[in-house]
Amino acid sequence: MSALTLTLRALPPHSVDLSPLIPDRLAGLSKAAIETIALGSRGLQVADLFAVSRGDALQMIIRNSSDRLTGIGSGMKQGAITVEGDCGAYLGLGMRGGQIAVTGNAGPFAGSGMTSGGLEIRGNAGDFLGAALPGDKQGMRGGIIIVHGNAGDRAADRMRRGLILIAGDAGAYCGSRMLAGTILVSGHVGTMPGFALKRGTLLLFRHPQELPATFQDSGKHALLFLALLERELRRESERFGRFLPLGNRVRRYCGDLANGGIGEILVLV
Amino acid sequence: MIINGVAIDDTFAEAFGMRATRILITAFDLKWAYHAARAATGFATSVIGCGCEAGIEHELSADETPDGRPGVSVLLFAVSGKELARQVERRVGQCVLTAPTSAVFSGIEGEPISLGKNLRFFGDGYQNSKVIGGRRYWRIPVMDGEFLCEETTGMVRAVGGGNFLVLARGPAEALAACEAAIAAMSKVPGAIMPFPGGVVRSGSKVGSKYKTLTASTNDAFCPTLRGAVKSELSPDVGAVLEIVIDGLTETEVRHAMRAGIDAACKVGSAGGVLRISAGNYGGKLGQFHFRLHDIVK
Repeated sequence: MSALTLTLRALPPHSVDLSPLIPDRLAGLSKAAIETIALGSRGLQVADLFAVSRGDALQMIIRNSSDRLTGIGSGMKQGAITVEGDCGAYLGLGMRGGQIAVTGNAGPFAGSGMTSGGLEIRGNAGDFLGAALPGDKQGMRGGIIIVHGNAGDRAADRMRRGLILIAGDAGAYCGSRMLAGTILVSGHVGTMPGFALKRGTLLLFRHPQELPATFQDSGKHALLFLALLERELRRESERFGRFLPLGNRVRRYCGDLANGGIGEILVLV
Repeated sequence: MIINGVAIDDTFAEAFGMRATRILITAFDLKWAYHAARAATGFATSVIGCGCEAGIEHELSADETPDGRPGVSVLLFAVSGKELARQVERRVGQCVLTAPTSAVFSGIEGEPISLGKNLRFFGDGYQNSKVIGGRRYWRIPVMDGEFLCEETTGMVRAVGGGNFLVLARGPAEALAACEAAIAAMSKVPGAIMPFPGGVVRSGSKVGSKYKTLTASTNDAFCPTLRGAVKSELSPDVGAVLEIVIDGLTETEVRHAMRAGIDAACKVGSAGGVLRISAGNYGGKLGQFHFRLHDIVK
């Protein structure tokens, strides 16, 4: 069975919350029922924005996507969504399972609050990737996010669990206030990486230009858990190939000593 | 039934339901993995006095272990899940955590019991956990770096107490046959022979003339008591040795018994092996019966 496809007819004049359009909710619905689902509070319906072609709702495709489409895949538990083009804020917000793939760029707060599943962004991610929403105590709480391009500022802010892999650069305050979890950056990181990091790991391919003064050098080490991580990444080398080989030799900086000092910035050597 | 001059008794081994787990111990090299594994499986010959029965199952090459280092697979058996959990924690804590460069992982799926879950507190607050591939690992800072251990291991229902007896002309002949048997049985995955070198010379019967003892020497198979008790031994038998097998399932116990008996029979009467028998309690205590004739046919 082919995938359920929603093709954006024209660029909407304002942002539209697509959080109602998740595979869990659309599975089993007729085309007519899908077309009449309300989007946002301005009286819009799916048919006003999208051409709907029938198919398997657990394999959804959103075509001609734009950064005005927000909340794609919010709270989804199963299935897959492929976004062809860019998408707006809150991609995969609080998702609990399934897979989302975006061929273009994603807006801010992608993967915020997600607890399981996978998010793959072929382009760049906006600020607050996997971070906590304002007022939330925790950001990402599980699952895997892969960004093939760059990530904005405050990636993984207050992240609690899970794995974020950024193939490009990450902006300022990467891993700020992290509670736990792992974030891997292949490119450069901006200023103040790991600011107020409580626990968790920033794993960097390149040495940051500067570190916060509250991180202290622990020296060079071979850490065994990195061998497990590498082996896990090798299981899906098609997705993770650009992060391999990882190796397990790192320079370890413990911190943030102003916030407990149990976390770490590891720089691969 | 006679194989290569060795009489196979028409009897059965009686075995019991147990709880078991498999853990994988890795280290910088095989030598240190063995140091840790031998310590962890030391003093684990019988649940009667040791709390558990344990042994090294087999070696693991670097590509068979989670961390890509050489290691060994260890099986531990106990009479209850609670006791197994206690033994695993104590033995891993005292013998694996302490061994240089070691790491420990679960080697079996099953009901989770603690592996590193409580050992992490040795880290005094500096321990860190990582969830990788859906499994949680603990990184405990130690003086040579970090001790990495999986949070839990799996517990499964298993079979303990499979056995057979090798009756020979003398101790040297019995020992040679048992060594050959153990060499063959060690290749069977999922089974261990927990006694020293895999062989036990102090087979026991249930009960004793002393009220405080629940088991005592198996007088019917003691050659020096022939004439004094109702002996099971013919005049030409000078020594009896027993091999006890614990396995993850009945099949593994059966395969190990078959491999061992075949190897002992290969030594044959020419090598001084006279009979193969087995220990049981009349069939009333153990839920698993392994008939020797069924096993060797």
